Amino acid sequence: MFNSKFMQSSRTQALLLIGPALAVYATFAIWPMIEVVFLSFQHWNGLDPHREWVGLENYRYILTNDAVFWVALRNTITWTILAVIFPPTIGLLLALGLNQQLFGRVPMRAIYYLPVIIAPIAVATIWRWMYDPFFGLFNQVLTSLSLQSLISDWLGDREIALYSMFVAYTWQYVGFSMVLFLAGLQSVDRSLVEAARIDGASRWQVFRHVTLPALRVTLAIVLVLSTISSLKAFDIVYGMTGGGPAQSTQMLALWAFMQSMQIFDFGRGSAISVILLLVTLTIVVPYLRWSQRDEGAGE
Amino acid sequence: MTAIAPRREDDSLQLKPRRDPFLIILWIILVTFALVWIAPVVLIAFTALKSNAEVMATSAFTPPQEIAWNNFSGAWARGNFETTFKNSVIITVIKVPLGLMFSAMAAYALARIRLRFGKLLLLFFLFGAMIPFQVMLAPIFTLVNGFGLIDTYPGVILPYLAFGVPYQVFILHGFFKAVPKELSEAALIDGASHVTVFRRIFLPISLPVLAALLILDFVSTWNEFAMALVLLQDRHMWTLPLGLMSFQGQFSTDYGQLNAAIAMTVFPAVLVYMIFQRYFVSGLTSGAVKG
Repeated sequence: MFNSKFMQSSRTQALLLIGPALAVYATFAIWPMIEVVFLSFQHWNGLDPHREWVGLENYRYILTNDAVFWVALRNTITWTILAVIFPPTIGLLLALGLNQQLFGRVPMRAIYYLPVIIAPIAVATIWRWMYDPFFGLFNQVLTSLSLQSLISDWLGDREIALYSMFVAYTWQYVGFSMVLFLAGLQSVDRSLVEAARIDGASRWQVFRHVTLPALRVTLAIVLVLSTISSLKAFDIVYGMTGGGPAQSTQMLALWAFMQSMQIFDFGRGSAISVILLLVTLTIVVPYLRWSQRDEGAGE
Repeated sequence: MTAIAPRREDDSLQLKPRRDPFLIILWIILVTFALVWIAPVVLIAFTALKSNAEVMATSAFTPPQEIAWNNFSGAWARGNFETTFKNSVIITVIKVPLGLMFSAMAAYALARIRLRFGKLLLLFFLFGAMIPFQVMLAPIFTLVNGFGLIDTYPGVILPYLAFGVPYQVFILHGFFKAVPKELSEAALIDGASHVTVFRRIFLPISLPVLAALLILDFVSTWNEFAMALVLLQDRHMWTLPLGLMSFQGQFSTDYGQLNAAIAMTVFPAVLVYMIFQRYFVSGLTSGAVKG
């Protein structure tokens, strides 16, 4: 240990400690975010040394000529709304249930959390197989229950493919909300719950007036994380339908990727990315401000 | 009589939760639901152990009669698992500890050293936790390509680090902030440097949180697909998820082997989760979600 002035200045030490994380984060996470904005104003195939500035041309093309973009936008919005409603609600119900003194609650928690650990691309593979119109589990089960009328081409029918995919997504992510809610429930004051019960409050009243207020912060975190992770839906779409049939399950993140990396139009791909980024920021920035204010009030 | 009466009341209070019909119904619902939830996993496990003839002949949830271990060796060879498994291990084993180290160091400094722009810097990190990188695959490719790092380990580890750091800094900052001042102040007054205080005091007490973050990070690194798809083009550099995707494309009708491939991809993450899971909820509770 060298006791020089260098080590003693706490600013220098802070710099040493923050330096590595900051450098790698700024270079590989923040810079691409700035770069994508530049790229969206250029015409570029990804290889050519020359990048041509085209102003707003890419945005004009996407918004007026690219029918797939609008499908992708609509699907992304639908997906996000579903993802904010269903997995968190089911996760909350499971957490409330599994927070009771029940036989086997630990293995049950593990079962509900298990899909979260499975690679999304593996989830896509599994569900794609279960949805197979001929050999898939779903149609087999429906046949054996004599419900042939319900048999569908789950991923091949443009009307239902998006929702079939969403079921797989829900299966995977319910455990994630559940764990966050379980963690949040540990902060609920037990004596308050017991006092309310003894005073004759119903279960619903206890939930409404004691548990729910205590879960306020957790609820905000879960909702924001659910929104963000729904915008990330990439692996599962890529693996299950690749955006098909006929682009009917296309999403913004995947469409941006395909434009850039498969059609080699980095400009248009980046313009889509920027639009998705703006959507994300309109959700994230208010949340960050809210959470900072909340922390300030807590101190 | 007077001595017994209150005792009875106690007993009835204690026994009540067990007999509560509400809880019994709740339990039945939760168990049924759990069976549905685990069904796909059981399906994979069973199918991975059946020969193709048996897959066709038996129903999905019939346990395998003759265990077909050769699905695993077959899938391992055909799916190029030796390469993809090795790549996944190398990337994960370097990235996860390094990322946790960087994050813990930065989180300590932000929580414990008074800095003029400390709060702003924290917000800057927090911002990154909210931005989905799936949105920026093209510019990440361009950047890594500019460094000449496409199809290399550093080329994928560096972006992984960058996108893992924000969330970990956020969680660890919350944890470090809550550590009582007395614990570090005495050492600092005695002339210990912040680096020493961090290493000797803060790292040891944050082990449960680090274990929780280790699970999360191991799982997300092991499973990462989108960035690897863009940054690892040469099949000799592919990771397991890329290998699985390709396997599905080529041999999707060989159900036994396909499910064996899925099982082999998923298993290491499940194993790590099971080893560290007792820290999981407690670790997250202490840092992130305190009411």
